[in-house]
Amino acid sequence: MQADDLINLALSLLTNISVLVIISIGLAVIFGMMGIINLAHGEFLMLGAFATLTAVRAGLNIWIAMILAALAVGVFGLIVERLLIRHLYGRLIDSMLATWGLSLILIQGVVLIFGPSTQGIRTPLGDVRIGDYSISQYSLALIVAALVLLAIVFWVFTRTPYGIMARASTQLPSMASAVGINTSRTNMITFAFGSALAGAGGALLAPMAGVVPNMGQAYVARAFMTVVVGGPGVLTGTSAASAFLGSIERVVSSLWAPFFGQAALLLAAIVLLRFMPTGLSGRWGRQL
Amino acid sequence: MSSGTEATTADRKSLAGIVRRLPLEVAGMVVIVVVAALLPAVVPEYQALQWTQWILYGLLALSLTFVWGHAGIFSFGQVAFFGIGGYTYGITAINLINRTGETFSAELAAVVVAALAAAILGYFMFYGKVGDVYVAIITLATTLVLFTFMESTAGPKYAIGQALLGGYNGMTGIPTLSYGWPGSPATPLSVTQTLAIVVGVAGIIAFGLHILLRRPFGRIVAGLRENEDRTQLLGYDIRRYRLIVFIIGGSIAGLAGAGYAAWGMFINPAVFGLQQAALVVIFVLVGGRTSLLGAFVGAILLQSLSTSLGGSDSVLTPIILGGVLIAVVMLLPQGIVPTVSAIAQRLVPQLRPRPPQLPVPTSPPEQLPLPTKSDRASPQSGPLEAIDLRKSFGGLTAVDGVSLTFAPKGVHCLIGPNGAGKSTFFNLLVGRYRPTSGQVIFSGEDITGREPYQRVRQGFGIKLQVASLYTNLTAFENMWLASYANIGNTKAATQRAIEILSWLDLIPQANHLAGTLAHGQRQWLEIGMVLAPEPVIILLDEPTAGMTREETLRTVDLVTLLGKHASVVVVEHDIEFVRQLNVPVTVLHQGRIFAQGGIDELRRDEQVLEIYLGRGGDNVEA
Repeated sequence: MQADDLINLALSLLTNISVLVIISIGLAVIFGMMGIINLAHGEFLMLGAFATLTAVRAGLNIWIAMILAALAVGVFGLIVERLLIRHLYGRLIDSMLATWGLSLILIQGVVLIFGPSTQGIRTPLGDVRIGDYSISQYSLALIVAALVLLAIVFWVFTRTPYGIMARASTQLPSMASAVGINTSRTNMITFAFGSALAGAGGALLAPMAGVVPNMGQAYVARAFMTVVVGGPGVLTGTSAASAFLGSIERVVSSLWAPFFGQAALLLAAIVLLRFMPTGLSGRWGRQL
Repeated sequence: MSSGTEATTADRKSLAGIVRRLPLEVAGMVVIVVVAALLPAVVPEYQALQWTQWILYGLLALSLTFVWGHAGIFSFGQVAFFGIGGYTYGITAINLINRTGETFSAELAAVVVAALAAAILGYFMFYGKVGDVYVAIITLATTLVLFTFMESTAGPKYAIGQALLGGYNGMTGIPTLSYGWPGSPATPLSVTQTLAIVVGVAGIIAFGLHILLRRPFGRIVAGLRENEDRTQLLGYDIRRYRLIVFIIGGSIAGLAGAGYAAWGMFINPAVFGLQQAALVVIFVLVGGRTSLLGAFVGAILLQSLSTSLGGSDSVLTPIILGGVLIAVVMLLPQGIVPTVSAIAQRLVPQLRPRPPQLPVPTSPPEQLPLPTKSDRASPQSGPLEAIDLRKSFGGLTAVDGVSLTFAPKGVHCLIGPNGAGKSTFFNLLVGRYRPTSGQVIFSGEDITGREPYQRVRQGFGIKLQVASLYTNLTAFENMWLASYANIGNTKAATQRAIEILSWLDLIPQANHLAGTLAHGQRQWLEIGMVLAPEPVIILLDEPTAGMTREETLRTVDLVTLLGKHASVVVVEHDIEFVRQLNVPVTVLHQGRIFAQGGIDELRRDEQVLEIYLGRGGDNVEA
């Protein structure tokens, strides 16, 4: 095997892992900190993509459009938390059902506004040649973006007052409220932060995937399995699960077909949970 | 546990119970079949087509009612089995119809393949003991992956025999239902005949589930839904029960899917879509999570609503479905049918369900000694030993090399300050935790790797620190579940449950929900449930927590009495209680054995006072 083969293989593996991080980190923050699974997560991704599309069409620079999209979905998440999620704390399955209902409404709402057809954004950046291969610079940017998102999460949860309070509330809710932490407020911020990350994920997907109202369906299963396999550790779990599942998916996809890759990812996840029911980070104690 | 002759009498007894109920159940089945057979005469053809679809959706919803509403398994992927059944039917029927001329084999194949898929998925989830939320996510993710997978199978290379999978366009040319037998060549059923078959089969399945839920299996499954921990500690293998329920649910969904493919002569990946998966959940939520009839009511209500809006292609349908889902969750968590019937029961008292009459004994049995089952084969009873047990959680070692032997008879107390590792050690004995290293030996047999339910079957009786009852079942049903685990016979279990309830003075409360009992009564009920199978090792974690002084004294007598028949291990905080018991005591500290001896002797030990009782000892004893 030549050096350029190896580099190409490594990059495609890393890109695939990064995509998993990008699509699941928002879900992981909400699940890890609040124990809630947002079943409309796929639609939050989709909203991020559409927000990016709209901003780019309005003439904005694509990178600025992506940041705006993340903020917009974050605000949307805040509203959803106040109107819906807040009333369903402690009712885990009910909160899943309500967000599921929300997901149906969002898909159809976007169909009504933007129409059902697939739209696209031109992929920014060009290609780079490595030996015999031509690699899209955008897929390299995705690797950087995944690292940036992880770094943001780390920074928020270790360096901001909110982050420290959020982790305290997760570990011991009763003690947290006893020392005066407003858990309702931290939950609200957590949900908005997770939503913004989902929005950023969708924004990053927009140039490489077709932007279409039901695009969430194509990604959300992988995001679910990444979070479940990762377990409660937001950063450690998500990174480890993305690396594990992303590698399996990539290898199987390139050997057979992409849809076999997804099936293999699912099977690997289910088999792993048989032996580690609380996920990869479940036994590492509660860290980030 | 019971010997051979006992088992046969037990079987005969329970058979008698079934036979007595049989005529009614057969009559119910006959009514369903007659009604179904009459349908073609009264339903016009254009309506029959729609009705068939509604009933098939109702059958799919029924599978979720059973799995979710009754067994508490959050399967968001019933449509996966529905779709698998539909595709299997299509593939088999397309390939076989020209050879065999019938579709029965294809329906059978659909049920078998769906059941197999449920068995595999269920095995990994339930034997891996993944949490409720994970079950919901895994089932939904499986469905969505099937969606992506089937969407990608367009083109002639994806074919099984003569059946093209068809990718996003779906599989076409699926034969409709047709039945025949040798000498009578099959002809495809007419639209109204299909409706009759579908209604008949759906009715029989619904009625069959109704019967099943009234049998012991149904009670155990209800217990499982109410309190998984308790059910396990009564000696039931909850993984197996969950798996069986999941397979039954998968088979029913698969059969509905086969009917659906035959009905439309077509199936496409949309059956695995997010909207279809949500639809089934909405049917069940609207109809009520536990109502078997409600499954059909929900399906028919929502489908006719969606038809009047212009079908599933209408732009408004998903928005209304999503709105209904949110509204039901926020406003009517019980579902529509149960809410309506609750209102009806409030208005018309005659409709209220009456509690079952218990065969209460005419003369109350003696208070003590403990009621014993004379016909019980004597179980093994050697010492229970912990050998160098160690348990770490992450970096923290909670139990650090504890070796202890508990004699086959007598009481042994474990005490220690908070964080001493008492509860962890207790959970290692019970089997809720696996030790990091070390062994648990019972009667010379290594039981380290056994599940709690297996230990209970070997003669363990376990009461956890947190009160663990089926709060939504009656006191009698609680006790019945405890008795049945060991006896395996409905009548004998009823008798045993009443025996123990009257011994505990709880007969007046027998038909009250356990959650409504007074605190002390709940503790007694739970202790009774632990004793029902006559355990030889009794493990009690803080049995007097929250008891009044008087109740505590009564517990001292009870524990002393139990110690004459069995080995009793008590983890306690209440020093006064331990002193009253006056039995050997082991003090745990920082995961190790710190001291052993009689309580009075330990109370004179300076070091013990320092770590546990606090400096100066006597003034903190109360």
